[in-house]
Amino acid sequence: MSALLEVRHVSRSFRTTLAVDDASFEVQPGELLGLIGPNGAGKSTLFNLVAGVIAPSSGQILFDGKPIQGWKSHDIARVGVARTFQIPKPYRQLSVIENVMLSAFLREKSIAGARRLAEATLADVGLDAYGGSPASSLTVGLLKRLEVARALAMRPKLVLFDEIMAGLTPTEVGAMTKFVAGLPARGITVIWVEHVLYAIMKTATRMVVVNRGKKIAEGTPTELARHPEVVKAYLGEEMDLA
Amino acid sequence: MSAETIPSLSPRRMAWFPTRGRISWFEIALLLIACALVVSGMASSLQDVLLLSFLFGGLALAWNIAGGYAGLISFGHSAFFGVGAYASTILSTRYGITPWIGIWIGALIAAMFGAVLALICARLRGPFFILSTLAFAEVVRIGALNWSSLTGGAEGLSIMPAPSLIGMVFASKAAYAALMLFYLVAVFAITKGLEASRFGYYLFAIRDNEDAAGAAGVNPLLGRTAALALSAALTGIGGSLFAQYFLYLDPTYVISPELSFQFALLPAVGGLGTAIGPVLGSFLITPLSELLRSYLGSSAVGLHLVIYSFGLIVVMLYFPAGLAGALDKLTRRGRPR
Ligand SMILES: Nc1ncnc2c1ncn2[C@@H]1O[C@H](COP(=O)(O)OP(=O)(O)OP(=O)(O)O)[C@@H](O)[C@H]1O
Ligand SMILES: [Mg+2]
Repeated sequence: MSALLEVRHVSRSFRTTLAVDDASFEVQPGELLGLIGPNGAGKSTLFNLVAGVIAPSSGQILFDGKPIQGWKSHDIARVGVARTFQIPKPYRQLSVIENVMLSAFLREKSIAGARRLAEATLADVGLDAYGGSPASSLTVGLLKRLEVARALAMRPKLVLFDEIMAGLTPTEVGAMTKFVAGLPARGITVIWVEHVLYAIMKTATRMVVVNRGKKIAEGTPTELARHPEVVKAYLGEEMDLA
Repeated sequence: MSAETIPSLSPRRMAWFPTRGRISWFEIALLLIACALVVSGMASSLQDVLLLSFLFGGLALAWNIAGGYAGLISFGHSAFFGVGAYASTILSTRYGITPWIGIWIGALIAAMFGAVLALICARLRGPFFILSTLAFAEVVRIGALNWSSLTGGAEGLSIMPAPSLIGMVFASKAAYAALMLFYLVAVFAITKGLEASRFGYYLFAIRDNEDAAGAAGVNPLLGRTAALALSAALTGIGGSLFAQYFLYLDPTYVISPELSFQFALLPAVGGLGTAIGPVLGSFLITPLSELLRSYLGSSAVGLHLVIYSFGLIVVMLYFPAGLAGALDKLTRRGRPR
């Protein structure tokens, strides 16, 4: 009833592939939902559906109780949904801070105000030393952080993180995990797709597991670690909770 | 720590060299030189070149709003140029409405044409967009040719050459030069304002990555439509001024692929997506093209285009950021970009 996001029987096919197959799940405000599944399971497609990059073939997506399926991505962004791109999509001809300002404009209409919000957000993700650098000069790891900064500068209610840890060193993974874990306390609900399982299982309040477009399991990390189908079919024998 | 590479972070002191979103001493100096040239009373053939350089500088800046800032590379801008030229000329010759007012009406109609083009091409990108703009201009040209009750068809329209202030017809070339310089400065100021505005940033975002812009709440179609409408309106004003100077227009004269190509060439040579670039481009290419035109005469129609294209390829190869990029590199030696 009071769910922030409700995905109801959503399907999406690309020609012959059914990328998302009758997926249903809910996210409550303040949750940190881990979304995991093998390559090609349909995780990014689910994000694209929620963020309005593509429309579902069928099903409903409710945000704050309002149906948003089929809306344009900029309209969905404006009601409070931010997302990162698995493959970073920076504005290459702009500086790092300007990249973030463009997100900040959603909340701060003046250039000076947007710049302040962008500076604060860059400091938040540890990119403050790069504000003046052209975005095209960043390494992949830094571009991932820029994605996070751009999403957070929108002051979203819900943020969709798509593999923000890829390319990070173990130390950075630790710092980023802690950072993401702190977001719900700041009023930001998170759905997090990540292949670095120990990080996500340590922080997520709840997990959804997908495979071949279908949701195959749902529950707390501890429940899933014992879930035979998940362990066998997806996680393999070696899963251990750090 | 980033103040050095992001000039707009320190808005108090004026920059020496062209900087996004701010006026620099370099630009002030250019303006002073331009003013001095206007009042210097030089030979009339040189004044021709000077005022055309001003006019095409403004037109290049207008094109650059769509092509450079919003990434909407158009080879159809002569359509807007023609619409502006026809609107003010028809209003003044048929209905006795002074061009001082007709220009604005022309700008408005051109803006509508620009918006229509943006909406028609909403889903087209890259070469498909470019080809559509070319086709669009051709449709407008053929329309102007056939709607002869309004446009005079292939015979064209003439403006009474009797000098009059209200008719915006002047006896002295210096007066035209001043008018064209005013146009150039106005479009330049609008461009600088755009660079420092939220709308300008939206255009950069749409140009650089439309998906990311959408995810940040920017409406790409709205941005593209507004950019093209603004660019078209300013181009239309240039068209009206052109008509007031040449006192004659016909469809193939004011709406042609050559002209459209020229509008795109100047910013490309000068530096796309910069304010100073199109101005520098015009001051290099316009005199050159006038020279070529008088040198080659009518013996080799289209040969100047071949030479242009060659020049454009050379610039793209050796100065991909145009003259403005070269200037930037020269004046920032030692500092990281
Ligand atoms: N735009 C598209 N056109 C065609 N097929 C697509 C498109 N987007 C995704 N797919 C297909 O849909 C399926 C799901 O892809 P998706 O990117 O959502 O997987 P994923 O779970 O994010 O995988 P990964 O962990 O590798 O990022 C794949 O088979 C993919 O090839
Ligand atoms: Mg993915």
